[in-house]
Amino acid sequence: MIPLEHWIIVSSCLFAIGVAGVILRRNALVVYMSLEMILNASNLALVAASRYNGNLDGQVFAFFTIAVAAAEVAVGLAIIVALFRLKQTVQVSDVTTLKL
Amino acid sequence: MENSLFYFFSVAMLSCALLTITCKNPVSSVIFLVLAFFSMAGLFVLLNAFFLAAVQVLVYAGAIMVLFLFVIMLLNLPAEEKRHRGWFGGAASIFVMVALMLELSFVAHHEKLASSPASPGIDGTTEDVGMVLFSRYMLPFEVASLLLLAAMIGVIILSRKEKK
Amino acid sequence: MNSSNILHVLNLLTPEIVLCGLAFGVLLLDIIFFRSDSVEHRHEQLGCSVIIGLVMVFFIYALQYMDWQNTFVVGHGAFVASRLNTLFKMAVVGLALITVVIGFKTPYSTHVGEYYGLMLFSVLGMVFLISSEDLLMIFIALELISLTLYVLTAFQKGARRSVEGGLKYFIFGGFSAAFLLFGLSYIYGATGHTSLREIAGALQGDQLAKVPMKMLGIGILFTLVGLGFKIAAAPFHLWAPDAYEGAPTPVAAMIATGSKIASFVALTKLLLIGLPAAAGSALSWPTRWHSGWAGTVAIIAVLSMTIGNFAAIMQTNVKRLLAYSSVAHAGYILVAIVAIQASGVPAPSAAPAIYFYIIIYALTNIGAFGVVNAIGSKAGGDDFEHFTGMARRSPYLSLLMLIFMLSLAGIPPLAGFFGKFYLFAAAVQADPKNLGLLWLVAYAIAMSAVSLYYYLKLTKQMYVLPAKDPRRVTSNPAMNTSLGLIGLMVLLMGVFPNKVVERFENLNANPYPIWEAAVPPPPQPEIPVPAPAEKPAVPAPAAPAPKS
Repeated sequence: MIPLEHWIIVSSCLFAIGVAGVILRRNALVVYMSLEMILNASNLALVAASRYNGNLDGQVFAFFTIAVAAAEVAVGLAIIVALFRLKQTVQVSDVTTLKL
Repeated sequence: MENSLFYFFSVAMLSCALLTITCKNPVSSVIFLVLAFFSMAGLFVLLNAFFLAAVQVLVYAGAIMVLFLFVIMLLNLPAEEKRHRGWFGGAASIFVMVALMLELSFVAHHEKLASSPASPGIDGTTEDVGMVLFSRYMLPFEVASLLLLAAMIGVIILSRKEKK
Repeated sequence: MNSSNILHVLNLLTPEIVLCGLAFGVLLLDIIFFRSDSVEHRHEQLGCSVIIGLVMVFFIYALQYMDWQNTFVVGHGAFVASRLNTLFKMAVVGLALITVVIGFKTPYSTHVGEYYGLMLFSVLGMVFLISSEDLLMIFIALELISLTLYVLTAFQKGARRSVEGGLKYFIFGGFSAAFLLFGLSYIYGATGHTSLREIAGALQGDQLAKVPMKMLGIGILFTLVGLGFKIAAAPFHLWAPDAYEGAPTPVAAMIATGSKIASFVALTKLLLIGLPAAAGSALSWPTRWHSGWAGTVAIIAVLSMTIGNFAAIMQTNVKRLLAYSSVAHAGYILVAIVAIQASGVPAPSAAPAIYFYIIIYALTNIGAFGVVNAIGSKAGGDDFEHFTGMARRSPYLSLLMLIFMLSLAGIPPLAGFFGKFYLFAAAVQADPKNLGLLWLVAYAIAMSAVSLYYYLKLTKQMYVLPAKDPRRVTSNPAMNTSLGLIGLMVLLMGVFPNKVVERFENLNANPYPIWEAAVPPPPQPEIPVPAPAEKPAVPAPAAPAPKS
């Protein structure tokens, strides 16, 4: 039997990789992919906790997360397309009209 | 058997995830991302979440990957030119990644977490998940449908080419 | 499955259903009847229908508010109908109404129906967020708000600022949603429940020993980061100035007011209903450290007040100034959350103060955004230079802006002063014996003094400096009237603050207020998995009436 601890560790490693991706990459598309990874890391934690807690709430939560993730990616990609039509770039660092 | 499958899928998922964020070419990033999510579906099966595993494959491989690839093709992105990012960004992200991994794993390791699944074990078959989904989580389900509709409208508006 | 239960639930959900129908109706009307009309025409007709519909929803909420004495819980807390929640929903719907009015004659896009439809979906997300006491529902409702607002921020597709603001908002928002979800998954993993009341139950008494506390702590921390982004508390505020500046002004007003109110209610519920057992304490904090979320929230409050106020001083754009000022105000409200926690449960004085403050903050801010929209659309921009000498070009709008700025700064006869007064008084009273929160209150008062500088700087720009362009700036009568009404309300709430606070105190005496759950939740019969569609609405047990 695999203890819950292992699942949580795998999930947190995936989370850490996703966070690193968001910080590291300047390409908005890859940033979105990293965000997807973080959402999936949470899904893994939810499903594992669901199995070890003995109720289905976590699985249902993960199901909703997948739906939300799909919607989010679609909106994000649409924003990228709109941006690309304006200025032919998908690099986050080229978004400079507004200062920080 | 279960143990070896767990380690196989985990290692595959984490290495594909690492490759996703390090690849220069967005197309190969997408492919690795999908491989990572396939491994995730394998992990879901090991957790008896059969319905979720199917949804994972359908939505991620079927919808999200296609969406990413479609946008990459649509924008016809030129090969990413070599960018001088400086060592700072790379070092910072590696530092954050290692720190988060160690911290979270440390926490998980030092907690007294369950060592075996709850008994009687629950099965995430379509029927069981559907029962919970359409009883207790009926209202969130309806709100999620609104969310998908709103996203759809927004995407159409944003990505449409305007007539001048 | 019991049909009368479903009817009862539908009855509770009437205003939400009407709102949903209104959103669909606007989309369909635009497609079926108005496709060939001019943009201005569509804007007028659809805007009027949305206004009528929102007034209707507002009145249904008002009826529910007067009608209800009990609290009803649907689906383990996915939807909680109580008078307090209804009051907040009325506020959100009212703010949406004002947003529609101030954006009335300034079409930002040719997609009029979709503009209003998405705005209404966002309001739906806000009302569902306000009434949810369930981790899953909180997540979904927050995402519904966020996704619609991302789209609305980028709605002016031809303008670089709008799309870039949308991209920044999206990336920061998506990152925060991911953090929030990861935090929620850890909270679920540690406690095994998604309903806030069940979580509170799992953290009680001898149950507590079974809960992995470190994991719960990580979960709470990540959740705070995620929600901190949504309420634009420092250091998670970086998206706010860009999104406010890039977004069409009515949308920025919505991000700054409606979505903020809803997120604050969600944060307050999560912390005070779900996790009171993990609070720790921020009392006498610099000298003694207690682990728990109260200390963390206090730190975020201090950072928000500092960064918000000092960064606002350097701004030369009015919308960016309002963005940083709202970061600072988020800090003040977080002080109140710490105060409610510190004063124990149920808190007689702190809770009405926080509601009063949130409502006043939202009202003043939406008024300010309205004036910025009215002046900015005529003067050609919303930088400081466009506001120079505005007192001569548009005395009426300038007077209103003066009122809103002074109220935000907290000058005595205006509502903002009493908001801060009640807030800080409540925080001091939270621990009357040894004044444990005095350090936080003193800091907040010092920061309010700093904020006076930049609010007056804008006022000076409008009143003292001469106008370069002598032409008058006028706005349409509808906007003038509604802005005037908001200004009047800000004045009146300043003159008679006790009337409003008393109302909140009455709610406080009402059973089942927002922070009630630290009292043990009523034992609920375990419901087997294939449960009836919605849990039959359970009237709340009477909570002990708080001592006044």
